Amino acid sequence: MEPLKVIITGPVGAGKSTLIRTLSETEVVDTDAAASEDIGKAMTTVAMDYGTLHLGDQLLYLFGTPGQERFDFMWDVLTEGALGMLMLVRGDRPEDLGPARRMLDYLLSQHPVPHVVGVTRQDRPPVWGPEEVALFLGLPKERVVGLNATDPKSAVQPLMRLLELMLAEEESRS
Amino acid sequence: MSKQEQLQSILKAIKQALPELRSVVVASTDGLPIVHDSADAPRVAAMAATALGLGKRISQTTDLGPLQETIVRGNDGYFVVYAAGDKGVLALAAPADANLGLIHLEARDFAARLAQLL
Repeated sequence: MEPLKVIITGPVGAGKSTLIRTLSETEVVDTDAAASEDIGKAMTTVAMDYGTLHLGDQLLYLFGTPGQERFDFMWDVLTEGALGMLMLVRGDRPEDLGPARRMLDYLLSQHPVPHVVGVTRQDRPPVWGPEEVALFLGLPKERVVGLNATDPKSAVQPLMRLLELMLAEEESRS
Repeated sequence: MSKQEQLQSILKAIKQALPELRSVVVASTDGLPIVHDSADAPRVAAMAATALGLGKRISQTTDLGPLQETIVRGNDGYFVVYAAGDKGVLALAAPADANLGLIHLEARDFAARLAQLL
């Protein structure tokens, strides 16, 4: 089976780097720099994150994008050749959903690939659940998955859903 | 002199030392412009931080030691990104016929001065 490239994107602080660190089976390539603005955390991704993960026999290459809009040129660079997209949004920051919607629309217009939205921080209520986010974003509810990016069992859920969609897409093409 | 004035005076000194430069941008390592002479500074600052961040990681992963600079060479010129300590980035754009050796010589010295201020 060919490895599949997956892009992990979403607004700043959604948990993209955390998810890749939690799940990667190989040493993570990250590009953190000290944040000079108040973005609720000390470090921010300036180029990319990279990790690998097996789901059953299927190897996934996980490419994480920076979240801050000034690095939007990297979204296209990293999405090139990706066969699936996971967009993370923070469940406790509904104000990020508007920007996330625009980011998703833009990326899918450039790279129409199977996609899933992951709603992070499900372990820290009060948070928006996946159903509420699906409604807000106008997505079918099976495309939105709740997770906690620091817990391997939970963090893998949206990628399993995404892999199902990617394999179904591949099948319908062949 | 305030820190901003000191940074401005370094910017001026860089342009005096290397008059062939097309633009000079000093940015934070997370991609925000600090001092510059570029009309496109926000974008250049972000890209310089990305080039530096990725360059550092490549240098580290392939056992090249601490990063000195990242160079992008196009048909029509150079874009060179230097680390200015842990917090800063110095990005210079130069035409294709510029003397890269001279640019390195001057820029590494200015990057060290910037590092002390940032």
